[in-house]
Amino acid sequence: MNDAIELLAVPFLACLVLIAIHCQFGLQVLKRNVVFVDLALAQFAALGATVAFMQGHMPNTTAAYAWSLGFAWLAALLLSLIRYAPARVPHEALVGVLYVVAVAAAMLLIEKAPQGAEHLKQILTGSILTTDFSDLAGVVPMYLVIGTILAIAVRRHWFERAGYSGWLADFIFYAAFGLVVTSSVAMAGVLLVFTFLIIPALIGMLFARAEWKQLWVGWLAGVFASVLGLAGSYRLDTSTGATVVCSFGLILGLAFLMRSLGTEKIANSLIPKTIVVASVLVMGISMLWLGIQPKADQPVLDALESQFPSVRHVYLTQQEQLVHTDAQRYIDRYQSEIERLGKLEANARWQAKSLDDEMIQKISSFQQSYNEMVKGERFVMKEVRSRARERLRWPALAMALALLAITSAYFFRSQKRLEDSKRTAE
Amino acid sequence: MSSYWLGLRIWARHLLLFGLAACAATAHAAFPVVTTTTDLQSLVQVVGGDRVQVTSLVTAGSNPESYTPRPQDLERIRQARMVVRIGLDYDLWLDRLLRQSNITGMQRGGAAHVDSSNAITLLEVKQGGLGGGTHAHGAGNPHFWLDPLNSNVITGNIVEALARLDPTNAKYYEKRRIDFLSELERRVSQWQERLAPLAGRPLLAYHNNWPYMARRFKLNIAATVEPRPGIAPSPASLAKLMRRMRDENIHIIIRQPSEPSKDVDFLAQKANGTVVILATSVGDLPQATDYFSLFEYNVSELLKAYANPAK
Repeated sequence: MNDAIELLAVPFLACLVLIAIHCQFGLQVLKRNVVFVDLALAQFAALGATVAFMQGHMPNTTAAYAWSLGFAWLAALLLSLIRYAPARVPHEALVGVLYVVAVAAAMLLIEKAPQGAEHLKQILTGSILTTDFSDLAGVVPMYLVIGTILAIAVRRHWFERAGYSGWLADFIFYAAFGLVVTSSVAMAGVLLVFTFLIIPALIGMLFARAEWKQLWVGWLAGVFASVLGLAGSYRLDTSTGATVVCSFGLILGLAFLMRSLGTEKIANSLIPKTIVVASVLVMGISMLWLGIQPKADQPVLDALESQFPSVRHVYLTQQEQLVHTDAQRYIDRYQSEIERLGKLEANARWQAKSLDDEMIQKISSFQQSYNEMVKGERFVMKEVRSRARERLRWPALAMALALLAITSAYFFRSQKRLEDSKRTAE
Repeated sequence: MSSYWLGLRIWARHLLLFGLAACAATAHAAFPVVTTTTDLQSLVQVVGGDRVQVTSLVTAGSNPESYTPRPQDLERIRQARMVVRIGLDYDLWLDRLLRQSNITGMQRGGAAHVDSSNAITLLEVKQGGLGGGTHAHGAGNPHFWLDPLNSNVITGNIVEALARLDPTNAKYYEKRRIDFLSELERRVSQWQERLAPLAGRPLLAYHNNWPYMARRFKLNIAATVEPRPGIAPSPASLAKLMRRMRDENIHIIIRQPSEPSKDVDFLAQKANGTVVILATSVGDLPQATDYFSLFEYNVSELLKAYANPAK
């Protein structure tokens, strides 16, 4: 537990800081319908860093930073000009074009200087887990200034102005966003920054109308999702960035669900009905599939079995169950043997008594044979299961038909009731 | 058509003719060989001397495992008379290029196709397969050139093919290989002597590049930072590594220059370690200019790191 707190405290702080600024920008970005603008800006910054590298400036130097900022601001200029594009041209498409061209141009440049490739990749693939306290200290003052100015600009409706001053406001908006994104992407990576930008803002828009309320809802939801994601990543032993993104997705889904539960009418009728219909459909389709192709993958049944192995008792005979567990036992034994031999060889590399080539080849051939045997046992398990499943073929088909009959009867009845009520209303 | 364009075309044709003539001249002078990696290029150069002209498809500093061929690579293969590869699943992209080149002898198993992994004692063959926490390569760990003594077998494979395809120079190639091997033996025993104090002392590596090098120099790579090839470590696995570094007194983490630095730097900082950047291929770092200097550099960097741990 202490390890977890030691490791995750700074990443959590980083999440808070990034959500605070990105949610603010996210609301604006969603309003303008230029969702992928952060990717375009970050990619231009990376392109700038590539150019700097080609000029002989090492990454993380002032010159390299100046180049990437220059390119990000060039992108900001182009983005601010999008407002002058004809109305029938979708703005999001232009943002996408900026993004792909910047990616491709950077790739072409990197081909010329492959040794810089990794440094450049790191501009776009930050990792929140290894964020440093000093990284945070460097950006917080800047975010504070930018965030305050943005809040004032929104309050005074600067972005809604027409003409030259409107364009200038837009340009400054994108330039400031470029500054934010260049630093945040290096810290947290493209995926996570996109998530921080869009999902809290979406949740805010879902629950509130006034902009300051949307901001607060977004922030709260973001904090909650970050805690969930970071803790989940530690518990499940998974990559932090990807887990946090998934937890934000989950929270967004829950938010939608809560929102629809909030409206009473839907809560009373639609949601329970949808759940029933969906589960009946899933059951019906998987039964039907089991009937048609009992030997193929059965996603629902397989998932059920992996969660509750006792499901197998229902359709495997005593004999089959015995064979199945036996095969599993052999697999475990072979695999532990493979591992033991592997460890033996790896340790012998540095221990006083080393293995000669012949011994190593012997070990390899043993491991290969064990692997083959594992495959054999896996085949046995699969075969036993699919044979038993073949016996389920006709019952499954019958069940599927029964389900179909029941649901269609129910459907027709409710349809009829609806018509009846319409008629009485008339 | 304007005279400007006509002039340009004539000029281009002259250039082409001149280029072809130049190619023909060098083809007579030197036997053209293409290799997939810079390490093989260096070894072909060692045995071929000035009688071969060798190009590596993967340029210095690029990652051969994720290489995407360029249009000119086909031209490079067509102009060569022999191709040398690492083999296993390391440079699978070569097969498609070879098929496209449509030269029978160059295909897998052909007379002009040298698989340098032939007759190498491979480590980690099918060990655990996917998810076994080892290298993803089912056919065995492909970084075998990092055991310097394996270059004995690799140059053997190369010279066998060279002598067959270019018999007039066979004696020359064989002589150069023998010279190389005696120099190799001298250097390997030197390196072993210098690294002897480090034998068995545990260290970490980012990727599972080093089993062959570890075996030759008795290095104890206690664990890899990435749990599986290409997968960044999770917080739980980083915490475990931190604990191991403290408990087992591990202070050195090895990283290849193109591998991500963040996790490694983070670990080093948290657990008071030093990151050593080592070359896995010729040209990964400016100091690793050929096969010998690759090891020369790696050995001295390792020694330096052990001499003053925890910067």
